[in-house]
Amino acid sequence: MKARAAKPQTADLFAPVATSLRDSLPRPALPRPALFSRLKQLWYVVVFADLPVLEAAAMLQRLSFAAQAFTPLVSIEPPNALLLEIKGSVHLFGSVQAIHAAIDAAWSPYRLQAQSATAPTTLAALWSARAGLSMCIEDPHLLAGGLAELPLACTCWNLEWLQTLRRMGVTRVGGVLRLPRAGVARRLSPSVVRDLDVALARQPAPRRAFIPRERFCERCDFETEVETVVYLQKALEPVIERCARFLKERQAGIQILELRLRHRVRSRSRVRIGLAGVTSDPCRLQEVMNQRLCRLELPAAVRGMELRSGALQPLPADSLDVFAGLRGHGRAGDMAPQLVERLRARLGRQAVYAIAPIAEHRPECASQRVHELQLASLGSARGRSSDVPVGDMPRPVWLLPAPVLLATDAEQLVRQGLMLAQGPERIESGWWDGQDVARDYYRARDPQGANWWVFRERHTRRWYLHGVFA
Amino acid sequence: MPRETPSLADILADARVWKLKDASATPSRPVWSTGRRALDARLPGGGWPTASLVEVLLETTGLGEIQLFLPALLACQQESEGENPWLVWIAPPYEPYAPALVQQGIDLKRFLVVRPASATEALWAAEQALNAGVCAAVMLWLQGSDERWLRRLKLAAEAGGALCVLFRPDRHRFESSPAAVRLLMSRAAPGQAADEAHLELLKVQGGRPGLV
Repeated sequence: MKARAAKPQTADLFAPVATSLRDSLPRPALPRPALFSRLKQLWYVVVFADLPVLEAAAMLQRLSFAAQAFTPLVSIEPPNALLLEIKGSVHLFGSVQAIHAAIDAAWSPYRLQAQSATAPTTLAALWSARAGLSMCIEDPHLLAGGLAELPLACTCWNLEWLQTLRRMGVTRVGGVLRLPRAGVARRLSPSVVRDLDVALARQPAPRRAFIPRERFCERCDFETEVETVVYLQKALEPVIERCARFLKERQAGIQILELRLRHRVRSRSRVRIGLAGVTSDPCRLQEVMNQRLCRLELPAAVRGMELRSGALQPLPADSLDVFAGLRGHGRAGDMAPQLVERLRARLGRQAVYAIAPIAEHRPECASQRVHELQLASLGSARGRSSDVPVGDMPRPVWLLPAPVLLATDAEQLVRQGLMLAQGPERIESGWWDGQDVARDYYRARDPQGANWWVFRERHTRRWYLHGVFA
Repeated sequence: MPRETPSLADILADARVWKLKDASATPSRPVWSTGRRALDARLPGGGWPTASLVEVLLETTGLGEIQLFLPALLACQQESEGENPWLVWIAPPYEPYAPALVQQGIDLKRFLVVRPASATEALWAAEQALNAGVCAAVMLWLQGSDERWLRRLKLAAEAGGALCVLFRPDRHRFESSPAAVRLLMSRAAPGQAADEAHLELLKVQGGRPGLV
């Protein structure tokens, strides 16, 4: 009998909001020990009500830098709020009230109207910050009670839902909590129920931390106009040196470097360098830049330049083997990207490529150039050379860019002394995209011993040369 | 009284006697088989030498010139143990056809094609590829001749330790070349039913030149 009485009670805990809340509200305590003990977060939320709309994003980023003095987990909530996870920092400041006050003080230099609140869940803190109540709830058990008095407008829900709720006579969050869960989900939206669950810590809502996006950027104006590339190289050397130091301090590397040149007479020109791998090595940056500049023809005299890096990326882990450099082994994986970018810097990006087979019957479509080279992960890629089945019919090493007409009929072919050595292999494909082929391929030998791959078009009966077996 | 006939060992010990190096002596560098026994036997060590320049003079493409190097390309790509398995083809006459190379077993993930705009750039690219130390084999197709550049190429090949092959038209056969091995490939004479191209070693360091 006792057990049966206990059962519906436990079922009640995680089931519908409305039935469990109807009895308990406004008494907020809901026995949910297992869930709350897992809740190890405390969110400080600040809302900047009068943030200028146009600069909001940039401003929030700047404010996030300041916020990162207090916690590593700072999250931006557009359009005008910052979320800080401060559980780990509370101990340092002594109490929640102390850290709350300390962070509040951090906004004063910006002269912005800041409303803040602290709560164990993001949405609860956000709602109370929007409502302008400087609430500070530490205990998850007090969440429901704290939220009950908040006006519904602070949830920023859809205007239609809010009007529906007002017509129903519900103006506060507590009122929504009292409504039946299924009904709310059906009449308004399931996302309303989900928001309530998140606010009351019934559902986790992970946040993505704000990671500052930094770039190296340095401008340099010349006293006299520069007309030769050599002088430009000299001027760039210290800048690249500083760029490498900047990267080293952040333990990051770059893959894109852009040099902008300002001219007096014409609009600015750009030199863009793509590196094959992420790097922060000054010698490598310098070398690639020099190779690229060697090819450059200055369109006009240069008044000033600006070196900008692409987005910073984490450096690939290096081998910690002390003797790797001595043995000359450890750098092998690193040298291939360097070779590729050195070649590309001088010859152009399109001039260096790999080739890959494609699962396709038409010979001219079965091979493609690959410009995005996979230079890393030497070890994993070995063993299987390709996933594309290539069949076992003979294929020539050289494929002509377009088939060359050899003969209009078989007699003419014989007169040329061509002997068919192997074949035919019938290839008939591509009717769906208008480039259909119907061909019989042969391996042929010309009278002097060269090996050709020829085909006869089945409709016109003409013979073409398509490849050379070398 | 007749003089005592000297033994062979005595003659060989004489400093005035110059010994031609034994063609079958194993060189310190690895060599890769050509896939043709007759040609292997003529090359010192029994195959294409690495860390030196091999020059092939072609009458035309399609004589099976890649076939001569395929066993070497495969072997050096597989045996380099992930350290320097790259194959670089610089300025090939046509577009290399991926399915054919996959059929032969070449790992295309470690295969690079370079298309330079001029012969000087091609030589520069070859030198860079050899110096980088990540290439197992560098193959270069050239039209012109510049002996200074060829010498630089040979030095780079010796320093890099890779197989370096230079393909040129056969009109350059009478020019001097720093290559360690020079091979002329020409078509079989008309009328002669040859199923393989006509090979002639013009120069072999440590071996005997002549028809194969």
